[in-house]
Amino acid sequence: MTEQIEKSIDIDVCGQICPSSLLTALREVNNHKKLLRSGQLQLNILTDNHDSINRISEATGNMGYSVKVKDRGNHYEISIAKTSVVKNF
Amino acid sequence: MDNQLIIIVISAFFGLTSGIIMHRSDFCIAGMFRDLFLFRNSPLLRSLILSITFSMLLFEVARLNGFLNHELPSSLYGLPSLTNIFGGMLFGLGMVLAGGCVVGTLYKLGAGSFPSICAFLGLLAGSALYAEFHLTWKKLSLSTRLGDAATLPQLFDLPRTLIVCVLLIFMGGFLVRWQTKGALLLPNRVKGYLQPRTAALLLAVIGSFSFILLGMPLGITTSYAKAGSFIEQLIIPGHVASLGYFQGRGFQYFSPISNQTLKAGAGPFWDGLALVQFPLILGIVFGSAVSAFNMGKLSCRMNIPFRQVFSALIGGIIMGLAARMSPACNVWHLLGGIPLLSIQSLLFTFGLFPGAWFGTFLLTRYVLKS
Repeated sequence: MTEQIEKSIDIDVCGQICPSSLLTALREVNNHKKLLRSGQLQLNILTDNHDSINRISEATGNMGYSVKVKDRGNHYEISIAKTSVVKNF
Repeated sequence: MDNQLIIIVISAFFGLTSGIIMHRSDFCIAGMFRDLFLFRNSPLLRSLILSITFSMLLFEVARLNGFLNHELPSSLYGLPSLTNIFGGMLFGLGMVLAGGCVVGTLYKLGAGSFPSICAFLGLLAGSALYAEFHLTWKKLSLSTRLGDAATLPQLFDLPRTLIVCVLLIFMGGFLVRWQTKGALLLPNRVKGYLQPRTAALLLAVIGSFSFILLGMPLGITTSYAKAGSFIEQLIIPGHVASLGYFQGRGFQYFSPISNQTLKAGAGPFWDGLALVQFPLILGIVFGSAVSAFNMGKLSCRMNIPFRQVFSALIGGIIMGLAARMSPACNVWHLLGGIPLLSIQSLLFTFGLFPGAWFGTFLLTRYVLKS
């Protein structure tokens, strides 16, 4: 399954005022809905806000996407993709 | 002022622990009100209600056991006026635009948030700006006064314990329901995250000990004005000397540790307010910085969209002004005044809702545009 993902897009919202990270993440998920649903794209949201990490994970998880959170040093990376195809780029 | 060092150490400790707690739980009061209008759902607001309810219980238990003998009206919470509602509205607008309230700004600043540094500068400027029209505002506040009752028990002429019990049962009912449904527990994916409900209980305990030991609940905004006046004093000392607001020392409270009534004001001098609030402010910033460093997340990102930085600065100025006009900030009113059943604090809180609604409207329409 993992080889289906052709590209990933990083969206950096570190340091932005709340609720920018959550709204940006939801907007980007919506904008790339087609590619995400087909499994061709993985979105990586880079954020440093605790609350946003939990809320983005919950909201996109409820939309049916697979969500993984990784600690990347001074920020977190939330990877959003079609169920069970999240991979490490 | 006796035992100054003890007061400074205790207040700094309260600040430090509050900073760690708020950073770990992201206890953002501005976000709690904003999300109510943005998403029509604010899970964090339930934790705030928990904190207010628990503070009310702790204050009353402390009072009944003789540890807290604070009678209203006082310098801490005066008589209600229409200006309390207006101040609350302006404060609600400011905190949403700034991306954090007066305390939220501090813990976010401690973790390295650039917009919060701008909001902090705005808060200092706004608080100092209030001194320019303090007399006019004071007159307006007096002319729009709403009766001679400072608290709900005084208004209804009922025993305080009875009203506290009724409110505890009412709010406790909601809290038990939320707890049973798991609505107080938030989903978590972050290592080191503190559940907001735990933070709410801990902050209520810290606020209660602050009131019992230091003579005032958690609050910091008069010291924002004071810090602003220190800076203004360096630039235009003659003007500062001409402003009545910066020269007065009308604020007074009993300090249990000093065992005396301390007088204080917003001007550039060391007094009973600076003694408690400056260590608290520094403690929150330092506590949050330590917490962020410990998680490996202490960093300052400067590449923030200009609209957000501008919004934080303007929000800070509005919040600084509003905190003086209310008078006092959200933490002072929500975690101190409402548990004391202060009508002034209730009016301020009513004002927060339309203010936060308007702030959310401006934020989504003009600030967070893609």
